Amino acid sequence: MNDSETMIEVVDLHKYFKDLHVLKGVSTTVKQSEVVAVMGPSGSGKSTFLRCLNRLEEPSSGHIYIEGVDILAPYIDINRVRTEIGMVFQSFNLFPHLTAIENIKLAPMCVRKIADKDAAERGLALLDKVGLSDKADAYPEQLSGGQQQRVAIARALAMQPQIMFFDEPTSALDPEMIGEVLDVMRNMAKEGMTMMVVSHEMGFIKEAADRILFLVDGLIVEDGTPDHIFNRSKHKRTLEFLSKII
Amino acid sequence: MSETPDKSNKFVRTHPAWFVWLRQPSSVVFSFVLLVGYAFLLLPDKETASPIVFYASINIFIVLVLAFTGMVLADNKKPEILKMFAALLLIAVLCWLFYRYSGAEWGRLKDFFFNWETLEGNWWILWQGLEVTLLLAFISGIGSILTGLLIAVLRTLHSPTLNFFLKIYVDVFRSIPMIVVMVFIFFALPFMGISLGSILTTVLALSLGYGAYASECFRAGIESVHSGQLEAARSLGLSRWKTISKIILPQAIPVVIPPLTGTLVAMLKDTAVASIVAAPELLKRARELYTSETNPTPLVAAALIYLAVLIPLVRAVNLLENKLQKKRHTQNE
Repeated sequence: MNDSETMIEVVDLHKYFKDLHVLKGVSTTVKQSEVVAVMGPSGSGKSTFLRCLNRLEEPSSGHIYIEGVDILAPYIDINRVRTEIGMVFQSFNLFPHLTAIENIKLAPMCVRKIADKDAAERGLALLDKVGLSDKADAYPEQLSGGQQQRVAIARALAMQPQIMFFDEPTSALDPEMIGEVLDVMRNMAKEGMTMMVVSHEMGFIKEAADRILFLVDGLIVEDGTPDHIFNRSKHKRTLEFLSKII
Repeated sequence: MSETPDKSNKFVRTHPAWFVWLRQPSSVVFSFVLLVGYAFLLLPDKETASPIVFYASINIFIVLVLAFTGMVLADNKKPEILKMFAALLLIAVLCWLFYRYSGAEWGRLKDFFFNWETLEGNWWILWQGLEVTLLLAFISGIGSILTGLLIAVLRTLHSPTLNFFLKIYVDVFRSIPMIVVMVFIFFALPFMGISLGSILTTVLALSLGYGAYASECFRAGIESVHSGQLEAARSLGLSRWKTISKIILPQAIPVVIPPLTGTLVAMLKDTAVASIVAAPELLKRARELYTSETNPTPLVAAALIYLAVLIPLVRAVNLLENKLQKKRHTQNE
């Protein structure tokens, strides 16, 4: 693979919830190792867009190509697609009946059929990477929000995905815990992970993102570098939004 | 109009005097003396009094006793020991009225209800009946748990067609009395050439019927698992079945256990219905003894055995429920 290979290609994606037209023809491409931030006012379809890309929401029409394969085709095993895409949620969604290490081991053992010992070894390495090697046997309820989110990131990484999705990963966190989660994400970006991040963390986006997609009412109204969007944007909705969050 | 209202009296109670008196200890003693006097002097003899006077007098007495115990029990300033006394008094008075006026032949109570000699050498029949009862409950319990689990898991597929038929099944079996199902299977199906024995009839009817209740317990438990759990599992690439078995059920089952145990206790009670299709369970065997001894003591014994088995179970269900409630409270904090 060379660096400019396309990882995700979205063509004219539409999504309806009953009569509500949430995505009105979104098209974009994401290259390998690119970090793409998705921004926009609430209700603009950012989360829905991300959730359509691994079919947690079923798109109403359009095409989605992951590593060149049309994942909306009928012969596609979506579970195999999802093993290539790690997802991190706003509310962490750790499994409360399992310890941190069990949360991480579960998918490799169930889906990839990796032996317990190997999965544990890899899980501990991942916990170390997110700075929680001492919390392996803690249950989610014994961890702080920031720690839970870092375990959730490790859980997603355990499947060795090619792509990582982050759906407002810091929105449910107390301010003093946001930094520790963003640090982990920054490191992943440096290591060349392809990432799509729904977030309004300006500092993180300015520093780590290669591109910003600006979504308004189910359409991408702007697509450019952080410098372009933050400093040189002429678009009315973008300026309006930025004036509110800065 | 410049008069300032008396601030110190702003929140003072303004109950009438009689109500204030009612809350004094003297009122309790006074009312109690009054009631005892009524019982000795005013309650009529059944044979001599005219029916109107008789019923009016007894009804007034019952109302007064109820008012007295109500007054004591409702006042949260009165000591618990006094409330216990008042409650026991109420029960005693009602028993005494029943004893005095029901016209039952009390001399025969011992002979017919507690004549343990009729059971001498026959206890093994009741124990055998209890064994069959417990066996029926055990097998039907497994049957209804499996039925319920299957239905609840199928309902998580959210297929409208499948749900339509599953709902019909659950509604039908929650609406139809258990006894009707058993009688139908046992007495009607043989006309079609299908003869299931009484044991099989009972197990089938109870499994189908209580399976419907159990499925509702499981469904409530499954629905209590947050949808984010499902999304997290699916986004990791877990299949539907793995998601259910590894993520949903382990979280749902602790929630399901108290109501499910309650359902199974109700099912254990309903095994007594099987006596009408001649399954040799506890009630049936007690009725056999009742006939052969022409004495109802075996029925009393059966009732006591049911109580001895079921009261601990009912308590256990209660404990489980409290435990779950506590766990939920600590989780919400």
